[in-house]
Amino acid sequence: MSEKTISNNPESVVYKRCTVDLASGTTTFAQVPCKNLEDVLGGFGRSFQILAERDIAEAYCPENPVILNTGLLTGTSIMTGMRSYFSGYSPLKKSGTGRPGAMWSTGSGNFGNKFKWTGLDEVIFENRSDKPVYALLKEGENGPEVELKPADHLIGLTGHGKIMALYQEYPEAHFAAIGPAGENWENNYMGAVVMSTDNELKSGEPKSRFAGRGGMGSLMGYKNLLAVVALSSDKLQKITPEIRDVNRDILKSGGSARFQPASQGGGGGTWANIEVLQVFHAVPLNNFRPKGNDDVERLFRDEVEKEFDIATEACHRCGIRCHNNLFYKNEDGSRGKLAAKFDFEPLILFGSNLGVHEPAKVCDLIHRCDLLGMDAISLGTTISYVLDYNERHPEKPLFNGATFGDYDKITELIEDAGRGKLPGIARGVKRLSEETGETSYAMHVKGLELPAYLPDTNPGYMFAIAGGHMSMGTHMMLAKEGKHSLEEWTQAITTGGLLQVGYDMIGLCKFVGVGIGHDIIVRALKEAAGLEIASADIVAAVRRAYLRGLALELRQGFHEEKEYTLPAQVMDAPNPKVTLPKFITNEFLAELRQRVWSVFKPEMEGLLPVQGE
Amino acid sequence: MQIKVKLYASLRRQKFDEADWEITPDQKIASIVEQLGLARQDVGTVLVNGLHAGWDETVAEGDVVSLLPRMGGG
Repeated sequence: MSEKTISNNPESVVYKRCTVDLASGTTTFAQVPCKNLEDVLGGFGRSFQILAERDIAEAYCPENPVILNTGLLTGTSIMTGMRSYFSGYSPLKKSGTGRPGAMWSTGSGNFGNKFKWTGLDEVIFENRSDKPVYALLKEGENGPEVELKPADHLIGLTGHGKIMALYQEYPEAHFAAIGPAGENWENNYMGAVVMSTDNELKSGEPKSRFAGRGGMGSLMGYKNLLAVVALSSDKLQKITPEIRDVNRDILKSGGSARFQPASQGGGGGTWANIEVLQVFHAVPLNNFRPKGNDDVERLFRDEVEKEFDIATEACHRCGIRCHNNLFYKNEDGSRGKLAAKFDFEPLILFGSNLGVHEPAKVCDLIHRCDLLGMDAISLGTTISYVLDYNERHPEKPLFNGATFGDYDKITELIEDAGRGKLPGIARGVKRLSEETGETSYAMHVKGLELPAYLPDTNPGYMFAIAGGHMSMGTHMMLAKEGKHSLEEWTQAITTGGLLQVGYDMIGLCKFVGVGIGHDIIVRALKEAAGLEIASADIVAAVRRAYLRGLALELRQGFHEEKEYTLPAQVMDAPNPKVTLPKFITNEFLAELRQRVWSVFKPEMEGLLPVQGE
Repeated sequence: MQIKVKLYASLRRQKFDEADWEITPDQKIASIVEQLGLARQDVGTVLVNGLHAGWDETVAEGDVVSLLPRMGGG
């Protein structure tokens, strides 16, 4: 999509698509006119329209594509504008009818830029290859070129290992790869896409970013597509005074400040959430069941700093610098080798929520999950269920009998799950809990495991369409604002909360931290992509894209009452240790569902294509 | 009159963990935050005795005012 093609008339905007038939190895290029503003903005706004055209009953079928695309601001000089998106019907997210839910997953690093700079906006991987391959996307003299290459030499390597092996061959490229989890797609539905960063390639250390949610890495594995290489020259957009101003405002806005380094007066990344949520004893502990004690305080930044050297690092040219990478300290106090990246989700889900509170052990568990290429949220939350089950049933435990805090046995579970030896865990907590018959404390909604925010505090999870907190921005509303009435939650879910997904259309990171209709976004689209558009039109396009996703869920068989709910434990056994208001009852959820659907349903009409047309 | 102020996370690192603080009887929370030398945009949540409170509220002798930084996740 070139700047010249951008205008306010969507049909006059064309994007460059390559369709790759993995079965035959053929590639087809097309200039595709946009149907609507969602198409223009990109990301899931575009990919879900493609998915909606298909009737998919099983995630692992040749007709289920992997769609790789970008957002309108990917590859521009707007700060954080480097996201790429992987979409398809998820092996993990499934309805009660057994049909898969549509998903997208996204990550940063520098892969998205390099991909955009090949001249492509979208690649659709169709069918499956009969042997392992990787896709080489590159800019050619006459436009983008795409080739499939044998990938036998990559088999069995970690995601980081694949990236570094390909880097030897393509030192000017960036990479998206799967790990052993994705390769073992039959027994592992939570494989992530591992994406390279500049820091990773320079240092050789595993500082990857991840498009983790929904098993898009497993879907790649099913297709025998082990990696994607994006090879292009850097095409850094000139930073005009207007773009400079937008970037300055991103950095100065309160929204991103909370993610900036503590040493620069910022909040220190999502890590700081632990201390804030602990004020309410609302940090997940022992499978989302806080005990009202101070166990999690051992993971506060001050405590961890005693043991580790913390480096704040960044994705490509990003001033927010949200990465908190922990390094071991050498005996002389100097920085040793990388221990792990310490973001809120993996930190909690492999730490307190598994009953593990020693930072070094938590680092090790995170590190193993990352190398094996799994979604930290899905794996951590499924393992916490296993530990909970085993504590309840010491006489007939699951798997190796691991219980909370049993680091050695948890390590075994991670390794075995990642290498396809434990389908009971790696197919996710919904399936596992249905097998055990104990579903009340299985922490998922619609088959997607919950992130590290208690469901007791967030009925908005019910209406997330791509994972709890990434596609419904209500996860901290109760702690932040104390709101707990039906009116407030209806309002939050049907307006502000759903706008969180807008970032997953335009190519920016959510850590820009302002509302999607904010003046900063309007100016960014105008200055960097030439799209002059009113805030209200952006908001309307995001809303349509979200509602299309919700309509697609219903079409795939998600029951509008039974599956738009929370784990039963939340309603049946409220946790007295959490000091926030306890307001979620079955009656509250029923009324909330009714109110939300009454707002959404009329707007959902006509958003999906009529199948067969 | 005296209240107790508790700061958390990045706010704590800027100032202190906990302190007794002198205020005037009708002083609003916004003014207390200013008096503490904290930027209002850095404060995301205010609790008075553990309950959420607004900028324009006043507090009583002996109340515990907790200030939390802006938070967010992803």
